[in-house]
Amino acid sequence: MDTPDSLRPGPLPEEGSLLRKPVDRRRALTVLAGAAVAGVQALSACRPASPLSEEEREVKLLAWREYIKGNYRFMTEAERAETIARLERQALLQRGSAVTIQSTGAQPGVVFGYAFNISKCKGFRSCVEACINENNLDRNADTQYIRIFEIEDGVVDLDHADATFQHEVPAEGHFYLGTQCFQCADPPCVKVCPVGATWQEPDGITVIDYDWCIGCRYCMAACPYWARRFNWSAPEVPVPELNTNQHYLGNRARKTGVVEKCTFCIHRTRQGRLPACAEACPTGARVFGNLLDPDSEIRWVLEHKRVFRLKEDLKTEPRFWYFSD
Amino acid sequence: MRISGGRPVPPALLATWLLTACVADGPSRTDTHVPGSPDPVASVVPVGIAVRNDSLEPGTLGTVRAIPVEGWMGPGGRPFEVALRTRDRESGHARRFGMITLRTTLRGSTPDLVQYPCTSCHLGRTVAMKDTRIGDAHQNIQPRHPALLGSVCSTCHSPDAVDMLALRTGERVGLDQGYRLCAQCHFAQAEAWAFGAHGKRMDGWQGRRVVMGCSDCHDPHRPAPLPRTPFRAPTILRNGGHD
Repeated sequence: MDTPDSLRPGPLPEEGSLLRKPVDRRRALTVLAGAAVAGVQALSACRPASPLSEEEREVKLLAWREYIKGNYRFMTEAERAETIARLERQALLQRGSAVTIQSTGAQPGVVFGYAFNISKCKGFRSCVEACINENNLDRNADTQYIRIFEIEDGVVDLDHADATFQHEVPAEGHFYLGTQCFQCADPPCVKVCPVGATWQEPDGITVIDYDWCIGCRYCMAACPYWARRFNWSAPEVPVPELNTNQHYLGNRARKTGVVEKCTFCIHRTRQGRLPACAEACPTGARVFGNLLDPDSEIRWVLEHKRVFRLKEDLKTEPRFWYFSD
Repeated sequence: MRISGGRPVPPALLATWLLTACVADGPSRTDTHVPGSPDPVASVVPVGIAVRNDSLEPGTLGTVRAIPVEGWMGPGGRPFEVALRTRDRESGHARRFGMITLRTTLRGSTPDLVQYPCTSCHLGRTVAMKDTRIGDAHQNIQPRHPALLGSVCSTCHSPDAVDMLALRTGERVGLDQGYRLCAQCHFAQAEAWAFGAHGKRMDGWQGRRVVMGCSDCHDPHRPAPLPRTPFRAPTILRNGGHD
């Protein structure tokens, strides 16, 4: 079966657009960095008893090199490997945690889609818990990507839905509907980003380069589904709880002043695994798979169940459908 | 391995089937074997085809053993497999067998009936299973499902081979094939299960399709999910304080 255009990932920026120009900022900063390092070396040559220890020097140098690196999207493979090596080293030096950061690319012929069974979800929020642990979400601000709404039977009305329920579930006469980033095929958040720090990958996952984000939060204003979260402070994750299986575009360490969001667990799903939320769901309400595979479970659900999406009139084309038995 | 045909299977055949099931014994069995007890019945699954998912990250499901669902096809006419056990303590046929304390490794699978196979009490005789009374040894069973149906034990359990389930055709199937029993009435759910809209897929979206069986989530005697206290509510609503 042909795949509707709306399910295909968005195009790369056109040749000659702002993003495709050679980034002079990077070159300029590299030159500056060279000058600075040369200056530091000259100074340390003057004062042999440098107050910086070897490790402190390395930390500073890593931070500086990280600061002047480019946008992940336009890095060469070698540059990606370099920054990942630096980030892993930083995590070890500064937090004492040995993390592995992937740069796994999209699989060819794969566009991810999600279906959520509103007659199965019982509001346990097991998905929320798994998501927090899997994606190293800020324990201090209690960031959560997934929100489960408790809605009275009869109508899908998110304005009168309660996401803060804390009573025993399921409650009589209610159903539950979960939201997270829908990985829209026409994502408004990407359109408004002034610096190109967020984009749609070929497998349909909208990602963020946390080191390119300037924290303007335009994307948060543009998202009709409240899917993005802002880090008002540096996320805190206790080292024993840290998930060390990380992806550059996913659950690696974020910093103050950048936006983050659900990536369908990019570090898992690109390796054929299920997102943590789907794996943790005890009711089987979550169906995940490849929209381009006509023999996938998700395609069977879309073709045989009554499905709907949220705010379809906005034409954002979410790749996240709701269905009922 | 599947027992076919629409008639009751003679006990001798059953014994052969169970014995052949012993051949592929795995090391996981031996550590729990009590000396003097009958030889543990091992998995019918060759070790090589067990699905590996042994990372201990939150939300993962542990190592899964699976057997092919025979005669049923998933989306695109592709075969799929049913998982024999999960690490989820909430699930399974296991803990709700009454006063007899079964190991929680019993997960809806006849070969997992190791420590207390039904035959350890019910050996060599046909259990009456005529009325709805739950025997003393099984008094913790909450027979909500049979009560709704007006059915008795033998509606689902085989009186002559108590480790087996009885289909309406008279065929006896192992607990591994519990889905065949459930599907006799719940055919809409069974279809959705086969194609992925009901139930839970394990291990990954790609490659082998392994799904959990009916009794991994539903206690057959009390199939509705139990209420729970949810995980903590979000403190940040939507985009902050501007809802």
